Amino acid sequence: MKKYLSYIVLFFSSTFIAPLMAQTTTTEFSLDNGLKVIVREDHRAPVVVSQLWYKVGSSYEKPGSTGLAHALEHMMFKGSSKLGPGESSRILRELGAEENAFTSDDYTAYYQVLARDRLAVALEMEADRLASLTLPEDEFLREIEVIKEERRMRTDDRPSGLAYERFKALAYPASGYHIPTIGWMHDLERMTIADLRDWHERWYAPNNATLVIVGDVQPDEVKTLVTRYFAKIPARPIPAVKQPLELAEPGQRSLTLYLKTQLPSLMMGFNVPSLSSTDKPTDVHALRLIGALLDGGSSSRLPAQLVRKQELVAGASAWYNAFARGDSLFVLSATPNVQKGKTLADVEAGLWQQLKQLQDTPPSTAELARVRAQVVAAEVYQQDSITSQATQIGTLETVGLSWRLQDTDLAALEAVTPADIQAAAKQFFTQSRATTLYVHPEEARP
Amino acid sequence: MMSLRIFSASLISAALLFNAGCSTFSQQQALQSNSVEQRISSLAALSKQSPITRTLDIQEWRTSAGTKVLFMAAPELPMFDLRLTFAAGSSKDQQTYGLANLTSAMLNEGTGTLDAGQIAARFEDLGAEFSAGSYRDMAVVSLRSLSDAKLSSPALELFSQVAAQPSFPAASLARIKNQLLAGFEYDKQNPGKLASLALFEQLYGEHPYAHSSSGNAESVPGISRQQLQEFHRNYYTAGNAQIALVGDLSIAQAKAISEKVSARLPQGTAAAVTPEPVKTPTSNTHIEFPSTQTHILLAQLSVKRGDPDYPALFLGNQILGGGGFGTRLMEEVREKRGLTYGIYSSLSPMQATGPFMINVQTRAQLSEATLQLVQDLLRDYLENGPTAAELADAKRESLGSFPLSAASNSAIVGQLAAIGFYDMPLSWMSDFMQDVQALTVEQVHAAFQRHLNPEQLVIVTAGPTVEQLPLPEPVDRSAASAPAGRQH
Repeated sequence: MKKYLSYIVLFFSSTFIAPLMAQTTTTEFSLDNGLKVIVREDHRAPVVVSQLWYKVGSSYEKPGSTGLAHALEHMMFKGSSKLGPGESSRILRELGAEENAFTSDDYTAYYQVLARDRLAVALEMEADRLASLTLPEDEFLREIEVIKEERRMRTDDRPSGLAYERFKALAYPASGYHIPTIGWMHDLERMTIADLRDWHERWYAPNNATLVIVGDVQPDEVKTLVTRYFAKIPARPIPAVKQPLELAEPGQRSLTLYLKTQLPSLMMGFNVPSLSSTDKPTDVHALRLIGALLDGGSSSRLPAQLVRKQELVAGASAWYNAFARGDSLFVLSATPNVQKGKTLADVEAGLWQQLKQLQDTPPSTAELARVRAQVVAAEVYQQDSITSQATQIGTLETVGLSWRLQDTDLAALEAVTPADIQAAAKQFFTQSRATTLYVHPEEARP
Repeated sequence: MMSLRIFSASLISAALLFNAGCSTFSQQQALQSNSVEQRISSLAALSKQSPITRTLDIQEWRTSAGTKVLFMAAPELPMFDLRLTFAAGSSKDQQTYGLANLTSAMLNEGTGTLDAGQIAARFEDLGAEFSAGSYRDMAVVSLRSLSDAKLSSPALELFSQVAAQPSFPAASLARIKNQLLAGFEYDKQNPGKLASLALFEQLYGEHPYAHSSSGNAESVPGISRQQLQEFHRNYYTAGNAQIALVGDLSIAQAKAISEKVSARLPQGTAAAVTPEPVKTPTSNTHIEFPSTQTHILLAQLSVKRGDPDYPALFLGNQILGGGGFGTRLMEEVREKRGLTYGIYSSLSPMQATGPFMINVQTRAQLSEATLQLVQDLLRDYLENGPTAAELADAKRESLGSFPLSAASNSAIVGQLAAIGFYDMPLSWMSDFMQDVQALTVEQVHAAFQRHLNPEQLVIVTAGPTVEQLPLPEPVDRSAASAPAGRQH
């Protein structure tokens, strides 16, 4: 069992020489069966969060079998050797715990937030469904209907959800990231309980999981509990996993949709690397700062220039997931200010103008200082939530990075120069990397 | 399931703490959990322990301008949260729907010396987060800042200016109105939103809770700068404000901050209390919408803040459909029949009587059968009340989740803001827990019967008109307590 003390020493711009110290104690150990455990102590309140992260998500799925990772997540609540269907939820509820699970392209994770004295119950039941999930067929036949309802609610009846699903399918031509996590409806229709049993056997092993525990606990007591419930689960061979890699420049793509909406909207995505897939981390950190320059707060460029100054858009955003297992996307989206007569073409030109500005002119020192001040503060604010601390650790570990990156992250961002930002903008914001989605109201269909 | 156990000494002391009703709680607990404790050994060990809760040392005072302050020191992280609340929600709109919301949205658009971009840049230079929001009862203005005085002093100065001296520039007003109008257009693609808007209109008729807090496409364009200035002068006053403050501050610092923030506000007294709504007639409204699912809402006026029946209604609602899995509604509608992704019942106690509401969405072909099922479940619950076992479980849940309600600064500042705004005692959180633990099945049942009537519902559906199908058979979970294991 190793112990790490990390001091996050934060420096502000020269106006405010204010080093802030936020000390956290994080302990890492592994069981003999390969289960990796990370414990962060936070003794502010007698509560704890436990998150078990499996290295499997929708990007691991095959055509025809989409939606499996997410469907299995639902079935993990339907009983194991010690528990009947739905019983773990009822027990946790009675204990006053918050519990749920989430699935994405890169991971499937299960969590419980509860009073610290109840941690053992959460761990015992979590270990049981890892080792001995029942997967009863009658429960599956009901649950797949629930999942279809989830798809109808979040995707089929929600224009923004539907648009994003189609956008992703086009923007990732080569990798499994084109698969929607909820699954295509026709794949949900033909999914069987045998598919799910196979999925659980293939991926749910202690050596394919990371357990993250944050809260009012001591590492020794956690180690005793985790060993008690998880150590007897044997390691199993996991299929060789290939990193989701994309074509660097797949070519200019566009998609037009007519949806049940009153407002047109636009989305633009650029194929870019992530921190896991790049061999030049500076590029990735530069892209992260570009995300903050464009949409890091109300004074950033998209709200200041496009919303307030030009009154071109009703709203605009930029986001970039640097913490993916494979190659990622830098995405911009906007809704035109139709009250001012602005069109999708105007918005598209306006967004390109913002990107061109980043390519032509390096950001000022003052603007970068503002972005850094926000990053630094956000790092402190994030520690107010044990759940977001655990989620950050779990994400980093599951996408093939280390939670220890947290200690060097601010320095890495500090090291990015205005010239790096300009260079990244030139390299990545090109037509040959771009996918553009135009969403029009159904009534506008020609 | 009838083997009685003797409960442990530590549980008895916990029971004494929460007085009389707890004997029922502990007995039932022992009855209920017998078989599951044999299977889950950690659960057997746990029943000997009582939950631990963080002690909240809340200070209360009034500033010289007359603003009530609730403060809790939390020195662990170098940050603090300030939440300023005013009785300045959309219930004060009168006939100008959306006035309160527009006032709130315009606060950080200008102060006379600074424009929107400068205000935003200044907060962001300091790493501070500003936000403003408006609801039916209250307007909320918040600041989150690092506690280093070099950063927090200028952030607080700017916060005070924005909250107390907004200039409501005309150009910004036109822009924000356009954004609101775009939002109304956006709402039209969301059947759940359309149903909810219709529901409040049906439920509240002429009452100030009837209209949407955002206003609507007819009301917003006509709102003038003078109306915003007047609304601000009347309602964003020191006498109509409360301050909640949590974080890395000494009591002296907290006093200085609250003194300064409240002194800047316009002078004024507390706003008049929102009148009680009149009882709503039963109604059934359908909104035709080309979706694949039908959204179903059922509601009734139920309870207001301070009602002595609230703890009973809260606990009863937890059993019926409050929170996530394990409620009657979730079990019957989602788990056994696969009809929906989620079904919830909620109680929203407000200054005037708020709604009880059930919210579900299902594939359109099953909407009529689902609505019927939900009505039957509600009727049965109101007629027969919860079982003793359900009540015991729900009490234990409340006790267990209590520590979570004060686990972070943001959770605590939210609690303090509500206690301050609704003028509840500092001990409200623990009083409420004591009340909940003392409840009997009969009391919960009686409270539900006093406040709700299954024959007087306001129902709104939004979805397509399609041929209807009968309900699927429920899955049989009778063997649930003896699972047949499939081992790897």
